[in-house]
Amino acid sequence: MRILPRNATTYAVQAAAAPRRQFPTALLFVLPYLILFVLFRLGPSLAGLAIGFTNWQAVGTPQWIGFRNFEAMGRDPRLGEAFRNTVGFTGVIVPLLVVLSLALAIFLNRPYRGRALGRVAVFMPFVVMSTVVGVLWTWILDKDFGLLNVYLSGVGIANIPWLVSERYAMWGVILTTVWWTVGYNMVLFLAGLQDIPGELYEAARIDGAGAVGLFRFVTLPMLAPTTFLVIMLTIINSFQIFDQVYVMTSGGPGTATLTLVQYIYTTSFQFQKFGYGSAVTVILFLMLVFVAFFQIRAYRRGLQGVE
Amino acid sequence: MRKYALLVLVVVLLGVFSLTAAQDEITLEFWGGWTGPDGAIMQELVDRYSAENPNVNVNLTIQAWSPLFDAFIAAASAGESPDIMAMHPQETAMFINLGLIGPVDDIVANSSVFVEENYVPKAWELQFYNGQMYAFPFDLGVHGLFYNVALFEEAGIAAPPSNAEELLEAARLLTKDANGNHPGDEGFDPANIVQYAINMHTNHHAFYQWYALYNQLGGQLLSEDGTQCAMDIDKATRAWQWLQDLVYVNYAAPQGQTDYARDFIAGRTAMLVDGPWQIPALQAAAAESGFRWASAPYPTIFDQPAVWGSGHNFTLPTNADPEKRDEAIAFIEWLAENSFSWLASGQLPIRQDIIASPEFAELEGRQSFVDMLANQKLLPNIPKFSEIFASNAPTPMMVMAQRILLEQADVRSTVQTACDEITAILSIP
Repeated sequence: MRILPRNATTYAVQAAAAPRRQFPTALLFVLPYLILFVLFRLGPSLAGLAIGFTNWQAVGTPQWIGFRNFEAMGRDPRLGEAFRNTVGFTGVIVPLLVVLSLALAIFLNRPYRGRALGRVAVFMPFVVMSTVVGVLWTWILDKDFGLLNVYLSGVGIANIPWLVSERYAMWGVILTTVWWTVGYNMVLFLAGLQDIPGELYEAARIDGAGAVGLFRFVTLPMLAPTTFLVIMLTIINSFQIFDQVYVMTSGGPGTATLTLVQYIYTTSFQFQKFGYGSAVTVILFLMLVFVAFFQIRAYRRGLQGVE
Repeated sequence: MRKYALLVLVVVLLGVFSLTAAQDEITLEFWGGWTGPDGAIMQELVDRYSAENPNVNVNLTIQAWSPLFDAFIAAASAGESPDIMAMHPQETAMFINLGLIGPVDDIVANSSVFVEENYVPKAWELQFYNGQMYAFPFDLGVHGLFYNVALFEEAGIAAPPSNAEELLEAARLLTKDANGNHPGDEGFDPANIVQYAINMHTNHHAFYQWYALYNQLGGQLLSEDGTQCAMDIDKATRAWQWLQDLVYVNYAAPQGQTDYARDFIAGRTAMLVDGPWQIPALQAAAAESGFRWASAPYPTIFDQPAVWGSGHNFTLPTNADPEKRDEAIAFIEWLAENSFSWLASGQLPIRQDIIASPEFAELEGRQSFVDMLANQKLLPNIPKFSEIFASNAPTPMMVMAQRILLEQADVRSTVQTACDEITAILSIP
């Protein structure tokens, strides 16, 4: 699942600065989105919260059962596995995606011929539908005739059972996700890089900074807001990983790639336990709020440190 | 650009108006999960029906079974069920329990097409749940053994294996490494096998095969009242051990196989355990490259013959438009009467007259499957079917199968874990 960033803070700041009387006009502008948001996001989310306290099977009348769904989570080993897998996936993919997209952004920010083509090539996978990505990578990662193993055998690495072994399956999903989403982070970093005034680099060079120095003392600090945004979005998106897993492994082999959202989908839609699935969703939501809260606090502290 | 946009708008509006104008025409929503070549065959049948009945338009919606069922539940909860919902006999209890499909006894009692004597007894019995009939039978399928005739000739094997001893002997002759050595030969290199004797599923068909072998040992999966796992751990272990050994001890089957039909047609495996729905692909390969195949009944590895099977049937959703019900029944009856055309999909006939007909006898590779129908074992039809048996979820059966066949997990403890999980699931009301 991917969520496009809504640069809400920026808009909010501008809106606050605007005179009050513009408010009705502004509301008209956001109304089309607001209607859709309430209908398809806020409404279902609130409904989901309520369903979490029932034993609804999607048909029939839901019965209010209080906190029973939440209590049942403690006795559900599959949920524990899903949680561990999700945290593990996030722990690996966040540093990987952040570092790789930053490196690509820096590389593709230099002036040389074919730069635009390079940017498009890196970003392109992101616009591909997740199901297509899943099917494509299922082929690429095929143990016997997959493209990747063909290349790997060229450098002496024998058939890796990417999606048919508990040890490698999550790595297969990670690889797919990196390919699919790195371009998006890269674009964010590119925008951030282009916001850094050239004078800063000039001044630093006059002070005798080398390439490492420029990166360490100019690029990195100036990119801090972007990096923060990228890290936060990547963590939130990674916690909600679903599409690739659903298409490529359905959470298997065994439970190797079972993630929280995959488990929520499975329990709700396949096992018709919408109450329980919604309760798990509530917990996932609270976890993400918790992560975002601490990150924002850390970010504010960091900003104060800079000032 | 703008001119075109206007044009598109006009066309769309015209389309909408012409649709509303043709309201006296009835549209039947018909959902099924035939995502393979069988989907095209069903579409042909649907088109034929629509052509023969100008006032009825059948709209066939196809997607994979699992998402199709998700969509069915969602649609039903919104009061928008399809008029005809296809499924498998072992899945009906789930939807009966949710109140999404209704009994059809009254319809069958008045039908000249759905007459019990005209059907294979098994096909009829499977449509009942708690003494009521909930579905119209359409076809059945069982696992069978396909084999590569050329590779059998090359290995000097006269007949396809029918028991454990014959299968292991054939497996030894058919498995070979890059130097042409067989398992047991001096210098045989298990890391360099170029031809395996047989496929080994790593998806849900793995536990289908186990279920067959477990039934060959006379095992029972669930208690009679359906509230707990009743697995005989010894028998369950023996059945799994046989399958696991085919991969890790006998080197007869590849580890972590991903595409069974492809490997069989490419000669990477000399035998293929799978359903008759593979027949169209094998016929296509025969026509294209002269691939020579034949089929044999699923071998009896243990005490008594048993084979995993399933089938397709049609149900009438309770939330469908009652005014279209008669038309839906007429269409289902027409499909039953014209079900010979459906056999091109490879699926097995269930009408006695078709099975006895010379036209059916002429169809390639079907007979050995039909011969096994009497020994067909379906997974138990229970309300919590998908929690235990779903193929694309970490259900106890899937996890057990993949741990044993992909990770070479200890069989006995893995079986015990699955049994405990099944009991835990069933004990929740």
